[in-house]
Amino acid sequence: MTLAVTESDTERIARGLRHRDVALLHALVQQYQYRLVRYFIFLLGSRDPVDDLVQETWLRVLERGHSYDGESRFEPWLFAIARNLAIDHTRKRRMISLDSNDADEHEPAPLTPVSCEASPFEQAARIEDAQHLAQSLQRLQPVVREALALRFQEELSLQEISHVVGASVSTVSSRIYRGLAALRQQMDGGEHAN
Amino acid sequence: MQTDRHQSICHMIDKSLAGEISVQEEQSLRLHLSACAACQQYLNASNRVIAGLGGFAFETDPGLPDKVFAALKIRAAQLETQRLSHRQLAWSYVAALILTLAGSFVAMQLSDRFANTFSITHQQVQLGLIAIWIVPSVCFCLLLPTLPLVSKRWMHAKGISL
Repeated sequence: MTLAVTESDTERIARGLRHRDVALLHALVQQYQYRLVRYFIFLLGSRDPVDDLVQETWLRVLERGHSYDGESRFEPWLFAIARNLAIDHTRKRRMISLDSNDADEHEPAPLTPVSCEASPFEQAARIEDAQHLAQSLQRLQPVVREALALRFQEELSLQEISHVVGASVSTVSSRIYRGLAALRQQMDGGEHAN
Repeated sequence: MQTDRHQSICHMIDKSLAGEISVQEEQSLRLHLSACAACQQYLNASNRVIAGLGGFAFETDPGLPDKVFAALKIRAAQLETQRLSHRQLAWSYVAALILTLAGSFVAMQLSDRFANTFSITHQQVQLGLIAIWIVPSVCFCLLLPTLPLVSKRWMHAKGISL
């Protein structure tokens, strides 16, 4: 079952969420599974906590479904929930790290990728250009990577991204420019049109 | 001067890709791109980056939707139970409030009749009604809203989670 997101569908989703319609949620889970996984990987730079976070996201959607009004698209609302959970997750990890007695164990800053082996991007690169991009993506700031993912993979508008990340439109566009510039430099070996 | 122009066009290309370009700027950009190989190259490089981003394919656990759905069903049932208990609580509160009001009404309106019937004073009837009716129902009204908190603490102490 596929739910094309037109205006009437957003209203139907809002109504279903208000009534905690589990069948509707099942359809949404299937429809958005891959996109949520991809978003979490772009945000966290890690694959490990993603399945748990996806499950948590849908539980949160069930609990707070009444707050979705159906007037705007469903995706920005869903990704905003997912983002908050990802931030909570990284905060908890930091607190666990601070509580631990192991002084040598340093946790990364919030939303900073942790990887010793091949990154999920390197594992996921299927085409030559993507392979080149994989390494530089892992080096980008998570918020920049996130902006690129929301714009070019999830195809959200700048206003929608701004709503998801809780930053101004100019901040979001600046992150996109920075991300594009860094990746472009990697792809063309630093050549510039000038 | 030429470099400035290119930089401005490159910025316009970025704006276009980010989706914040106006129709006029778009027209001006197209015009420039048709005549400038360097800027066209910049656009091509940007498009390659975007296409590269689309070239990632992440593995997903095929069992994940079923796992999520199972968790959703359990949580939905728990929320429904909570909703029903909240509704019961609300009705109990209304009932307690009605009892309080009815008790007050009886105390005010019928105390003379009771006093005559049972050969006791008007004040004694009122005190009796206050002691056995109004005070308990007022206490019930006041304590009812704290019941969910008490029950949550009790469940937490017993290790039961909703």
